[in-house]
Amino acid sequence: MNLQGIVIQVLSGISTGMVIFLIAVGLSLVFGTLRILNLAHGALYMLGAYLCYWISALITQNAGGFWWALLLAPIGVALFGGLVEIVLLRRIYDREHLDQYLLTFALVLIIGDLCKLAWGVEYHLVPAPWPFQGPIFVLGMPFPSYNIFLIACGPLVFIGLWALIRYTRLGKIIRAMTYNREMANALGTNVPRVYTVVFMLGCWLAGLGGTLVVPTASAMPGMDMIVLIECFIIIVIGGLGSLSGAFLGSLIFGLVNAFGILVAPRLAVAFVFILMIVVLIIRPWGLMGEPE
Amino acid sequence: MRPSTGNTEKSNLLMIGLILALVVFLALPAFISEGWISLVNEMLILALAACGLNLMLGYAGMVSFGPAGFYAVGAYATALILINTKLPFALAFAAGPLIAGLSAIIIGWFCVRLTQVYFALLTLAFAQIIHTIIFEWYGFTKGDNGIVDIPIPQILKSITHYYYFSFIIIVLSLILLWLIIKSPFGKTLQAMRENAQRAESIGINVRLYQLSTFVLSGFFLGIAGSLFCGFNKNVFPNYAHWGKSTEMLVVCLLGGIYNFFGPIVGSIVYLFLDKVITAHTQYWPLVLGLIIIILLLFLRGGIAGFIAERLTFRQRRGESAE
Repeated sequence: MNLQGIVIQVLSGISTGMVIFLIAVGLSLVFGTLRILNLAHGALYMLGAYLCYWISALITQNAGGFWWALLLAPIGVALFGGLVEIVLLRRIYDREHLDQYLLTFALVLIIGDLCKLAWGVEYHLVPAPWPFQGPIFVLGMPFPSYNIFLIACGPLVFIGLWALIRYTRLGKIIRAMTYNREMANALGTNVPRVYTVVFMLGCWLAGLGGTLVVPTASAMPGMDMIVLIECFIIIVIGGLGSLSGAFLGSLIFGLVNAFGILVAPRLAVAFVFILMIVVLIIRPWGLMGEPE
Repeated sequence: MRPSTGNTEKSNLLMIGLILALVVFLALPAFISEGWISLVNEMLILALAACGLNLMLGYAGMVSFGPAGFYAVGAYATALILINTKLPFALAFAAGPLIAGLSAIIIGWFCVRLTQVYFALLTLAFAQIIHTIIFEWYGFTKGDNGIVDIPIPQILKSITHYYYFSFIIIVLSLILLWLIIKSPFGKTLQAMRENAQRAESIGINVRLYQLSTFVLSGFFLGIAGSLFCGFNKNVFPNYAHWGKSTEMLVVCLLGGIYNFFGPIVGSIVYLFLDKVITAHTQYWPLVLGLIIIILLLFLRGGIAGFIAERLTFRQRRGESAE
């Protein structure tokens, strides 16, 4: 393969990785703080994708429908998530893991069917928005300019989250709770409110990922589970609850996937699975995580 | 010695219930149509799979997300042997659980190194790998077309005959599982579930016990898979799909994981609801989701757990009245 081909493949790997980073980091954040592995995270991402399609279609493309969707859809998902947290999740924090898995799995089924009821089973594509409609040329090879936009989104969100966790009061509380939950409780944090806020932030990130993906991959039933399993792989590689781990894991995932497709198109998934197993055996806490 | 009298009463009650159930299941084909027999057959096979999973889940406290992997290995092993070789059915059938058990040794060796969330994720990953292999290896497994028209002996082709065949296998397997759980091995598992560190400190090799449980569970899931292969005469990659795994988990939870008969009750209720509700609406998952939520919030311990609790409650009330 020549240089141009490799560069294009790297770019497409990074753009896949950056979208999935948004989703995986939300899952990881929620796990780190709430200690809940939210199986419905993929379903929330799918809800974001459908909301993006719905809002874009409502406002029409000329009026900048997609950009409105980018603003509103993730907020819609976050509000929905807040409701779920207050009504349901709150009741099971002190339960066993299995109960938590099953509750969030029930949400997968419910959200999935509600999306089907509302938007049917067809594929819904939203065209790439202005000004990212055409291709740009990298070393003379065409590459969709929208994907360049996606590549920019990843680091932007990464820096935003990093600043939030490093410099704000909420960030301090999140770090304290990830580090030692009992101690944070004892020091008088309003834990239920922090949980709701963090869960909503996680949902907002899932919704953002869902919104951004629609112009490249369309909204469709089943997209929730594919992305959930990919997110699992990423946060296991990077380390559960680690921000930089999710970023690194997503990059590795995107690149392994992009080159795996070249080597053996049908077995690309297997490569990342194997990578995950290797990481789990050598460093069970992930590349950037810390042993418990 | 009040408690012991209570226990004998309870086990007498259980014995009567079991014999009654046995008679009902044996007599059923005389009273219901073939469509219903085949549903009951499916319930029993799923019940066995769920009981196999529950050995890990309820007794050893190991949450696996990938039981369907071993179920599919069992089904495909039997299917591939029947379709590609002239070996007798009995051998092909026995090969299913054995190969499932063997693959559980390999996969379990990796999995038991991890605990909790990581263990669950790794079992999911391996099941997905099994799914991918079946799905993509067209030359061997025929990919997503599945293997269809699997030849089974003439005598088992009638639904009623197959029902009795699988009933015998399932009852024998359940007895075996019961003996395992009541043995010192089973007691050790429960001790590990309660506190792995303490179990370790009194000299139990926790990893070895977990691996043995993993393999046993894989073996029983393999039996269920092989039975379903003969029942359906077709096998498809979605047997290994994570959706199948969650179905088994839901069945265990629905019935109750801390009761031996929980998964059996769960399987019967689950497939019955599935049949009734699918007849009325295509939104069965939505209803199932709501059922799970209600179950988690209001019916902890599942159906069997709930009934057992009621029985104990009544018994206690009777005692205090005396």
